[in-house]
Amino acid sequence: MFEELSLHILDIAMNSLAAGARNIQIAVIESVKHDWLIIRIRDNGRGMDGQTLKRVLARSFTSKSSRKKPIGLGLALLRQSSEMCGGTFDIRSVQGRGTSITASMRLSHVDRPPLGDLNATILALCASNEAVEVQLHCRSDEGTFYFSSQEGRPHEPRRTQKTQREGATASRAT
Amino acid sequence: MNLDELKKLKEKAQRQVALREGNKKYRVVFSMGTSGIAAGAREVMTTMLDEIEKRGLEDVEVRVTGEVGLEDVEPVIRIEEAGGEKTTYAHLDAGGARKIVAEHLEKGKKVDKLAVGKEKKTD
Repeated sequence: MFEELSLHILDIAMNSLAAGARNIQIAVIESVKHDWLIIRIRDNGRGMDGQTLKRVLARSFTSKSSRKKPIGLGLALLRQSSEMCGGTFDIRSVQGRGTSITASMRLSHVDRPPLGDLNATILALCASNEAVEVQLHCRSDEGTFYFSSQEGRPHEPRRTQKTQREGATASRAT
Repeated sequence: MNLDELKKLKEKAQRQVALREGNKKYRVVFSMGTSGIAAGAREVMTTMLDEIEKRGLEDVEVRVTGEVGLEDVEPVIRIEEAGGEKTTYAHLDAGGARKIVAEHLEKGKKVDKLAVGKEKKTD
């Protein structure tokens, strides 16, 4: 079990990289007022078909075949964490379009792991593959924060913008 | 969550991304599967990135991979040299990571104490 939620985020986002995503959107929404912590990770990787998606939700699913989207224990661990903390876990995927994972938990739940070092997670992701755009949205009662690894880069490839649109379509389609 | 802290991230991430591009002499591959992350691979990676930046090493490329089948000795990294030589380091922590940067990546000397398995040569 991971001690920090940011490690969960890294683990899930690594699946996105393995699925060939060009764009990974991570959203962390924290509200003391409503007592929720919501984490969403959305990518435009190759997605999964219905059958794989069903198997992924089984607790013991693991895919050793590197041809498929390799998902190990990571999703099951995040689901366990969120359900243990009074929240829900949701995964949606459209083959060829991408995958979106949303995990929520009660902010005040005694078992809720701390968010931890989110910066280290984002840094590790950015350094893993510089061609992938990593976006981070944070929202809390204090305010909002947005980060993109492609921000302010001089030679932004056009392809990135295209895949970004595809990512947006995928999320609507789901 | 501290928004100020997150803001510092912007600059740093962009600087490090810029460092990672191009053909390099050394390629460091981090095992970032679930087991690697659980064992502390993220800290090993960020420490190495910091150290590489601090020492101004420009001939290093960083990559990640999923599970490498060495779950019992995670965190694991593999250093591939342009000549095809590969070295696998296991049971790493921040201290080990710093040492590998200082010895292997800067001076080209392997850290035998942290290395596992036999060296492999490809073509």
